Amino acid sequence: MASYAIIGFGCAGYHALTAIRDVDSQCRVDIYSEHKDAPYNPMLTTYYASSRLRYEGMFPFGSLEDISLACKANIFPGTRITGLDPEARSITLEDGTVRAYDGILLATGARSFTPPVPNECPEACISMRTLDDARDLKRRMEEGGIARGVVVGASMAGIKVVEVLHNNGIPTTLADMAPCIFPLAAYPTTAARIQKHLEGQGVTMKFGAGLKAIHKGTDTAALVECTDGTLLPADLVGLCIGTRANMDLAVQAGLATGRGITVNTFMETSAPGIYAAGDCCEGRNLQNGQPQVIGLWANAAYQGYTAGAAMCGSTRSFNGNMLHNITHFFGMDFIGFGDNRVTGHTLTFENRDKGLFIEAVRQEGRVVGINILGSYRISGILKNHILGIIQNRHHPIPDLQRGVLKKEGLTEEFILELEGGEESHGN
Amino acid sequence: MSKMILDFDPVLCCGCGACAVACMDQNDYDPGTGNAPFRTIFETQELGDKPVFSHYSVACMHCSPAPCVTACPVGCLRKDPQTDLTVFDNRDCIGCHSCAMACPFGAPSFNGEGKMEKCHGCYLRLQYGLEPACVRVCPTGALRMVTQEEYDQAHGEHSVVEEARRIAGEQI
Repeated sequence: MASYAIIGFGCAGYHALTAIRDVDSQCRVDIYSEHKDAPYNPMLTTYYASSRLRYEGMFPFGSLEDISLACKANIFPGTRITGLDPEARSITLEDGTVRAYDGILLATGARSFTPPVPNECPEACISMRTLDDARDLKRRMEEGGIARGVVVGASMAGIKVVEVLHNNGIPTTLADMAPCIFPLAAYPTTAARIQKHLEGQGVTMKFGAGLKAIHKGTDTAALVECTDGTLLPADLVGLCIGTRANMDLAVQAGLATGRGITVNTFMETSAPGIYAAGDCCEGRNLQNGQPQVIGLWANAAYQGYTAGAAMCGSTRSFNGNMLHNITHFFGMDFIGFGDNRVTGHTLTFENRDKGLFIEAVRQEGRVVGINILGSYRISGILKNHILGIIQNRHHPIPDLQRGVLKKEGLTEEFILELEGGEESHGN
Repeated sequence: MSKMILDFDPVLCCGCGACAVACMDQNDYDPGTGNAPFRTIFETQELGDKPVFSHYSVACMHCSPAPCVTACPVGCLRKDPQTDLTVFDNRDCIGCHSCAMACPFGAPSFNGEGKMEKCHGCYLRLQYGLEPACVRVCPTGALRMVTQEEYDQAHGEHSVVEEARRIAGEQI
């Protein structure tokens, strides 16, 4: 009977388990997780912290007991793996036990990055990645006593923490060393519109200066010092600067790594029989062909399923993904597709009646990136369009999708521009 | 029950909109919320020597596998094990719109509470031997609910099912 180990149990680990069970109903599957919670999406943390999501709603696949029974898996919560031997395909548990398997999946996820700056006031600082982070913020909101907040990091996580504080009546400043909000996803005009919307909601923003230090405050618990010397008073400091892949085991075992664990399209690492999936690994960015950590829930699901299937001998592969995200905050949607550093001819479109704004960049007759404000409904269609372009299946948008785009407020002229304009249609 | 296909043939559609009205009635859709109904009705035209007009009635294509199911962070969406239709329970929906970004057909809608709703293929009607509301009122047979086997045996030359499968297959 074959045996497999899954280290880390989030979205990737869960989907690997389902893939294994789709292929082999009898094999042994051991799952090791440092935390004691069932798999959950880190983006849910602010929803739970703000009581917009019940606790049970955090776990889309059910409890660990449910999963264990349904998928016949041996789950070891609260168990840390301290060693990985790729040649022996074995792992070492905290108590020194060594267990060997036919295949091992590293699905260890990512952690919040805490910048190495002087911090006299860690008790006033929070991250927003884990369920413990969510519990912490929820408790602080319930206890009250927070007069001012500062969130460092104009990221998707950062804006959601700002929203929680704002909805609790706490004046909050969003700060980032970047020149604008969502620096990894938004084009300048789109970012300016988002910032204007946030200003209208009463959010203060400070861009262009990094975090230098966090001091003890006098009127507030902390004083956040920026690299330009500005001091921002805060009783609560959200550090939402980014994440780092958890790849200590892989590094220690000598596996190839970059910003994440290096994998091929079968999600196999540089060591045969050792796989990696989810936020701990670098998949392929389809847009530029380069390895990149694309930390998205669905991406982790596809990677995990591929890894699980591959461990059981399937030739299923996952070629990669493109950067994409959707964030709903302060009553608006921001949707971004593609690498916003790729430059070209900028196209913009606005339909005020529909509350819709689109900013797209076209390079050599092909759309390489799209920002959307205000219409979630068209997002999947335009994502599909740009994915087709990136994967060299460039074709006109079919009537099935085109009609919906027009219903949602796009014009035929702008759709033609998204399809490549004169460069593509040869007019 | 077999895997079911909600088929649509634009050549047979006359654009009467009866399907959309029946769907709104079946699902207690409230126009006062300002949200889009589950079905989108539109027409296309190809101008040429002989102009061609086509009518469409587009809703959830019940992709299999369905990218919206994978994208939902709270597990609101699932495939009905009996029919393979994509159904939902929006109790824990947080309104993140991830399903919308995953859907290549613009199917997910959001109600006044910000919770996702969409065509579920009237799977509960099917369990009672009834047709989906939209199919029942379609006067031209453009919309039909058939088993996979029935679809394989016969379908309209212009059925959108194959194209929808190709489109969904390119979604990640």
